[in-house]
Amino acid sequence: MYIRATGNISPQKTFGHQPLGEAVAYTGNRLACIEPDYKVFIDPKQIRRMSRIIRMGVAAAMECLQEAGVKVPDAIITGTAYGCLEDTNSFLSKMVEFNEELLTPTSFIQSTHNTIGGQIGLMLQCNNYNNAFVHRGFSFESALLDGMMLLKENDANNVLVGAIDEITNTSHTILNRLGLYKQGPVSNLDIYKTKTKGTIAGEGASFFLIAHEPSTTDYAKLDGLHTFYKPDGITEIEKQITSFLEKHAVSINDIDLIITGKNGDAGEDKIYEQLGKTVFDSKDTVDYKYLCGEYPTAAAFAMWLAANTIKAGKLPAMLNATVSTDKKIDRVLIYNHYQGIHHSLSLLSAC
Amino acid sequence: MDKLMSDLKTQIIAQLNLQDTKPEDIGDDQPLFVEGLGLDSIDALELIVLLQQQYKIKLSNAEDGPKVFKTVRTMAEYITAHQPQNA
Repeated sequence: MYIRATGNISPQKTFGHQPLGEAVAYTGNRLACIEPDYKVFIDPKQIRRMSRIIRMGVAAAMECLQEAGVKVPDAIITGTAYGCLEDTNSFLSKMVEFNEELLTPTSFIQSTHNTIGGQIGLMLQCNNYNNAFVHRGFSFESALLDGMMLLKENDANNVLVGAIDEITNTSHTILNRLGLYKQGPVSNLDIYKTKTKGTIAGEGASFFLIAHEPSTTDYAKLDGLHTFYKPDGITEIEKQITSFLEKHAVSINDIDLIITGKNGDAGEDKIYEQLGKTVFDSKDTVDYKYLCGEYPTAAAFAMWLAANTIKAGKLPAMLNATVSTDKKIDRVLIYNHYQGIHHSLSLLSAC
Repeated sequence: MDKLMSDLKTQIIAQLNLQDTKPEDIGDDQPLFVEGLGLDSIDALELIVLLQQQYKIKLSNAEDGPKVFKTVRTMAEYITAHQPQNA
């Protein structure tokens, strides 16, 4: 199956299919998305009811569909771990403030995890299959897997798959208190140098139009996807990677580039460092979370990066890679883990 | 009444997040729903909540809704007639 189009809103300049420039630098432990002018994509009358994450998701989805030239997809599938936090926060705060009596309907209606998929469906007048997956660090992968199965079983010819997560002031404060993020001033460009506990918070909305049949404008071929939960040590992770590649009749030497989910947390990055000495030894490897921050559906940003790299045939300028930028990149392996619990592998290749 | 209608316009804009709309854009007798401001059924619920939160008035009969929420003036008249101190 093929990735025909993409749409991505992230802390980098990724929206609008502009040439990918240098990485945007941030100071602090929170990367916020660079948002477009939503009025180009969404009717102002509808915008007023949408919180930030809904606008981001809808705009990224609309850009993806526009690029694909698809008005109504055969299915809409979204993945989100946190859901619409701003609306949830607003709704719960009002419950407390007004003693569970006076609740404003809008934030309640918009607070559910399937709001973005539903909004896209409503805007497109699309009554086709519409599903949302809320599986923490597997939310995006579960949505993608569902889309791949629909294509494989010929239940759809094209599927809009996306992942959306936001960080709000409240969620950032709570997660910061739990020790997830780095303390003190830190630049996203230097997170791998710090060797301390914690990462940087991120968010994003990444959408893909995946299709059964190839077209002349595809980004990449999606060869495989695999997830595994709470592996029993590094040996099992190595086995999972090796058997995933074997299943797709690919050797590690056939991989031109590995994109890993290294996030700057000294503890969580140990897995990637270990793999760098074994399965990924001497392979060209790049990291991506200094661009988008850490969040449960960050693997969708990695897939967007991989698809764009393959389409361009070379690394985008925003990757501070030690890999030669002239090298033609035809096959990419993405390995990501979220908090050492949710692990995923994706394999993409040139069409 | 004029002060109440002016306050109501500001509160409606805030409650319904009517971006790019200023209080002076809303006429006292302009219909709030459909052809006027273009409000819909979810907005009607928001306006009921507004009445309760700001003026402690519960709409006792749901069938009165279309009449009460017809314009800013009809809302102001209903509030004036039903405010607790007037009850």
